Amino acid sequence: MAASLLIAAILTIFIIWTFFPIYWMFSTSIKSALEVFNISPELFPKNPTLEHYYALDKGSIKVSVFLKNSIITGLGTVILAMFLALFAGYALSRFRFRMKKFISLGILTTQMFPLVVLLIPLYLLYKRLNLLNSYIGLILSFTSFTLPFSIWMLKGFIDSIPIELEESAIIDGCSKLQILFHIVTPLIVPGLVATMVFAFLDAWNNLLFPLMLVTRPSMKTLPPGMVLAFAGEFKHNWGGMMATSVIVSLPVVVVFVTMQKYLVQGLTAGAVKG
Amino acid sequence: MKKIMDSPDSKSEFKLGRKLKTGARAVVTLTSFLGPALSVMGIVILYPIVEGARLSLFSYKLTRPSDVGFSWFDNYNYMISDAVFWEAMQNTFVFTGCVVGISCLVGLIMALLLQRPLIIFKFLRGIVLIPWVIPGIVIGYLFLYMFDFEIGIINNMLVQSGLIRKALPWLADRELAMVAIIIAHVWNQTPFFLLMFTAGLMSIPEEALEAAYLEGSSSWQEFRYVVFAYLKKIMVIATLLMVIRNFNNFPVIYAMTGGGPSFSTTTAVIYIYRVAFERFDIGYASAIGTIWVLILLTLSIIYTRFLKDEF
Repeated sequence: MAASLLIAAILTIFIIWTFFPIYWMFSTSIKSALEVFNISPELFPKNPTLEHYYALDKGSIKVSVFLKNSIITGLGTVILAMFLALFAGYALSRFRFRMKKFISLGILTTQMFPLVVLLIPLYLLYKRLNLLNSYIGLILSFTSFTLPFSIWMLKGFIDSIPIELEESAIIDGCSKLQILFHIVTPLIVPGLVATMVFAFLDAWNNLLFPLMLVTRPSMKTLPPGMVLAFAGEFKHNWGGMMATSVIVSLPVVVVFVTMQKYLVQGLTAGAVKG
Repeated sequence: MKKIMDSPDSKSEFKLGRKLKTGARAVVTLTSFLGPALSVMGIVILYPIVEGARLSLFSYKLTRPSDVGFSWFDNYNYMISDAVFWEAMQNTFVFTGCVVGISCLVGLIMALLLQRPLIIFKFLRGIVLIPWVIPGIVIGYLFLYMFDFEIGIINNMLVQSGLIRKALPWLADRELAMVAIIIAHVWNQTPFFLLMFTAGLMSIPEEALEAAYLEGSSSWQEFRYVVFAYLKKIMVIATLLMVIRNFNNFPVIYAMTGGGPSFSTTTAVIYIYRVAFERFDIGYASAIGTIWVLILLTLSIIYTRFLKDEF
């Protein structure tokens, strides 16, 4: 009895600890400006209002522009990463060639590199190639960082398909492309969904690349947009900051909660089982 | 040249012309499957690392663009005598050690407590993962707000509950700022360990637990020998992965403290950023970056070794 009370107490504390910050973000975003600056903050907003949300699109810096850029680059990354990872994952799973092991482990290693280190040379390269302030430049950089994990995850999913299915297709005279799209793809839908969701989350959350590779405010995505919007004199615009935070987090949380089954499957396949 | 051995047509081996054709086709297939992904990663990841290593041998300051010149290992010599560099190294290890240690422990305890077949626990296991997917920049601003000296909820709660007498200057104090960024990251990463341990616990076969019961082992012994044996591997892999993650962590610290006050929360990557974009010393930033890449390379080789044992 005492033990289960203790367990209940620990669980309650853990749940409050986990969810209170999220609740606080949301509740601040719907408090009036006056209430936000109350020295002893109220747990529940007295007069809920959407004024902070409306204000996000009034000033010279419009959050909706960042949102649009985030959606475009996010979807672009999803499409590009899925195709590249599907082909590469299939090659690493099924083809036999020299240096295969080296390339496989090399791909896995690249995801460990710190993004900050890449920034200066990448900035100089993008400048030469005219890729600064462009969607394509951002999509390429997001994709490269989501690829290692996606490739490994899809390789894991393809490894688990019995090869006999493909062998009989070869005998029937199918090409590699036909095999990939007609036989393999339908069997790894959970893996593809997980790849797409992770690619989207990676692109959506990335701060450093768009912070440095985009100099024009109208091309910034949400994370560097937040840095821009809440710097200097707007540093203490907590209501606006929390409203933006809700907008940035909401799609991620919704996608995560609805797709969770696929994600956990993909995550454990990619990160734990290799 | 890459050689493909899965040619379906082994009978054609003695026909030289045919063999060359299948060989060439296989190379084309391989290149077209693997090539695009590798070239994107080559351009965005590999090239900058090599170029960074080259730049680290130059004296290259954006404030003096006419003074760019090859300077051998000057940047590396300076690094050794740079007290801030060593402070940043120490911060990185303290920060990573605390975050990973606490998150791992709390994640393990919670995974064990939530390991019941009730629907409510299944549901809870699902939604407690939410902090892990919140974007870094949002976590940074959220905790910046909660740790605010005047209107932050944390000071408010601590004062009201009588735990402290006066509000604490969380982000303006050298030690407290480190504590604050650790708390924010623990909040974010505990769910990841919880997820990993839950997956690990589910992979323990019933028989193993039953066998332990039959032998009359107490709960603790059962945990110690059966559960821990199964979780050990996941723990090592998840911990290594998170050590690497935290070695590279940027957005939360950037939003909360920017590495301050002075350099007290400046980790290696934050220092690289500050040297490059506050001091505009590209050569020196590249030198620290190159060293940091080498450290991470070592870690990730260890990590892949552990993964390989799983195959």
